[in-house]
Amino acid sequence: MAAEDWFDLRGVVTGLATAVSDLTAEKTIGMTRFWPHKEAFASGMAALVTEVVMATAVFTVIMTTILAILWIERKFIGRLMDRRGATTAFRSLWVGEGGSDATVEWWKDLPFGLGKPIGSVHGWLNKHYGNEHELETVSRVDNRSYLGAWWALPGMIQNVADGMKFMTKEHMVPEKADRVVYEFAPIIIISTTVLVFAFIPLGPGLYAANSELSLLFMMAIFGIAPLGVFFAGWASNNKYTLIGGMRSAAQLTAYEIPLLITVLSVAVLSGSFNLIEIVDFQASSTGGAVWNLFLLPIGAMLFLITMIAEVERIPFDMPEAEAELVEGWWTEYGGMRWGLMFASEYLRAYAACLLFALMFLGGWEAPFEDVLIGLPMVGGLFGFVFWLVPHTGWLLIKSWLLFAVFVWVRAALHRVRTDQILEFGWRYLLPLSLVNLAIAFWLRVSVYDDGPWPLLVPLFITTIAVVLFAILVMDEDEEALEAQRRPYSVQSTSVAAPGARKE
Amino acid sequence: MAEMWISMGPQHPMTHGLWTLKVKIDGETVIDTEPDLGYIHRGVEKICEARDFTQITTYCDRLCYASANTWSHAYIYSAEDLLEVEVPERAEYIRLIACELQRIASHLMWLGAYCPDIGNLTGLVWCLRERELMMDLLQELGGSRLHYNFPRVGGVKRDLPPGFAHRCKVKLEIFLDRIQEYEALLDESTIFLIRTQGVGYAKAADQINHGVTGPNVRAAGYNYDVRWAHPYSVYDELDWSPSLERPSVKGADCYDRYRVRVEEMRESANMVLQSLVKIPGGANTYHEPGDPALLTKARERATDGQTGFHHYEDSRGESMFYLVGGGEGRGKMPYRVSIRSPMFITIPYASKCMIGYKIADIPAIMGSFDPCIGETDR
Repeated sequence: MAAEDWFDLRGVVTGLATAVSDLTAEKTIGMTRFWPHKEAFASGMAALVTEVVMATAVFTVIMTTILAILWIERKFIGRLMDRRGATTAFRSLWVGEGGSDATVEWWKDLPFGLGKPIGSVHGWLNKHYGNEHELETVSRVDNRSYLGAWWALPGMIQNVADGMKFMTKEHMVPEKADRVVYEFAPIIIISTTVLVFAFIPLGPGLYAANSELSLLFMMAIFGIAPLGVFFAGWASNNKYTLIGGMRSAAQLTAYEIPLLITVLSVAVLSGSFNLIEIVDFQASSTGGAVWNLFLLPIGAMLFLITMIAEVERIPFDMPEAEAELVEGWWTEYGGMRWGLMFASEYLRAYAACLLFALMFLGGWEAPFEDVLIGLPMVGGLFGFVFWLVPHTGWLLIKSWLLFAVFVWVRAALHRVRTDQILEFGWRYLLPLSLVNLAIAFWLRVSVYDDGPWPLLVPLFITTIAVVLFAILVMDEDEEALEAQRRPYSVQSTSVAAPGARKE
Repeated sequence: MAEMWISMGPQHPMTHGLWTLKVKIDGETVIDTEPDLGYIHRGVEKICEARDFTQITTYCDRLCYASANTWSHAYIYSAEDLLEVEVPERAEYIRLIACELQRIASHLMWLGAYCPDIGNLTGLVWCLRERELMMDLLQELGGSRLHYNFPRVGGVKRDLPPGFAHRCKVKLEIFLDRIQEYEALLDESTIFLIRTQGVGYAKAADQINHGVTGPNVRAAGYNYDVRWAHPYSVYDELDWSPSLERPSVKGADCYDRYRVRVEEMRESANMVLQSLVKIPGGANTYHEPGDPALLTKARERATDGQTGFHHYEDSRGESMFYLVGGGEGRGKMPYRVSIRSPMFITIPYASKCMIGYKIADIPAIMGSFDPCIGETDR
């Protein structure tokens, strides 16, 4: 295991469990002469205790840090949309139009002489956190220049309020629903989602299981939830949920295959299905010292796109398209079942971000760790920082940044249509993922020789990828724009004129 | 999947109001549609028969919540035609400013509602942010945020407040900048293009045969704008031209209808900026509600059987009020009021336009026609 640090929870737990188990075995079985397997009992018990404690620790970390995901989902998108939520509402108490105070001196109506201190607080707030420039104050809502505490805590407390609301809601089942399947579908979705985290290592000293096939197992578990979605869509006995479930099945089938082939390419490149070994392969002391992102840029792109489709976020949220299908396959669910399914959606998104960080961004390795430590003047400082921050922190920061990318995509893009999603998946992503797999094979078989990668290889691949990306971004057909060509015309029947089709 | 009917509505995110669209689908493809209107019929025409001419304005505001000013102005011009009232030029300019600001606000509401229809909430929030600028300006004029009750027979409620021209100019310049943000968000996004281009074709000839007007028919390349074809108010004194799209042979698609409205917002902003410069001073624009001089004369001016009528370019098309005077028998009240709502004609047409497309195109096509149910059901 590479990259040891002081936060070696698993080491501590293993040591303690071993000591306790040895002691227990000594004091119980060791006293008797009937059962001679003292060592086996001690090691088995130590393993069991370690696993239970570590699994609890990993889930605790995940469930605590998912708050950051929800916070990004609320606050970052609010920032992108110029929408501040509660912050704006609070601020409107002391900021008026045209750079003035709030025009109504509401605090003067307060009883018991409360008005004067509140009025002075108001004055202070308006002086320090009010508007300054005239142009910035043209409107109450035009507060994009405001750099106040938009990042403060209230967004998190909202989650607690939502949870309370879900808990207290009545459980309603549609009259003609298939009751057994209807109740069973959320169980499938939620349990498989939580199970995914059993095999995600969060750091060199913080993981629940170190299986040889952890990546494969994770992908298998990840693929069960769509079945639950389809069950939910069918069992609700509602046309919207039925269409949503069908869409979900079609979409997830189309995107699971490129996803798996991309994952396979990473496994091929790293020579292992074990996530910890994949991370080690990207670290400097034990592997190639280059993040997979710089070796398989196509793979990283494919993984990002297919994962967004897997977790059904915009632009690929066809199954729950609220504009036409109300809420798609979960229209008929309510209360805590709905809340848990929504939470499991965020858990899946979190798992996707963690997986991306583990497979392509070097896992828990700090960015350019060795290069920064090797710098002449400031190397020592970086060394101290890298020693101080546990490696788990780097993994979490990477996955949070990735989730911010998810949110950015959601704020910037629209929803794609069903046929377009499927066409994109089958006609572009699948061939690209095969190309990516071929590149991975070539790199592993012909280029890679144990030890660090030659610096030219990632440099060459990354340069090509950046140039291709730039061309793709700048490619704009001026003539087509001028001619107002419509390249995306899709109509499956030839008659669209009103009244033309009336059998 | 076999063919089945889905009833979208009366409460459904696609409807933008309260109506039902019954859709017959074959898998994901729409093969037939049937609109069902009339859920919020309030009998405005009948109510108006029991109100005097100055009170009807308030009801006309309620015809469309997104575009209240244009509807009350549509009524006012018909009433002035019936009662033969002269309007001072300054009042006409103020009316034009109010209506064009309202048109911008209405189109912003449309664009804001259209973006979530195809899956983007950012557009909604951005559009409502700029709509707030327009609402503040209209609030300065009319006194409230949604239903202004601003025009009066023979003028407007009150003169422009002090400093209005400056604030209006600053906000419109900000708005004209921000339109470019929408275009960066929408026109440069391939997903927006593949969702709107080549979807929901509507030919100009078909639309004219059905009686569709307004931005929808201008998107199909037919230059019919009442403000341009039959200039009322002071529209012919300003330098402007109707926004027009160059559609393909198959007709206008959703993207054309989006473009024409964005261009129209620009044109309206320019009109307001021009009229802020050109507006003459001096004339009296203030009339008390229920002006006794006006109402006592109504009896003789609107004689039995005499009619008042006016075309008006609403934000959604051509709206008309047809008033019949009551004469001695009914005094200050009209004998009959008839309202032409552009959306009442457009919604059945639009719901036939989506045959042959996918379910996901239903909100994209329906939203691009800018439905407003308040005026449809009246």
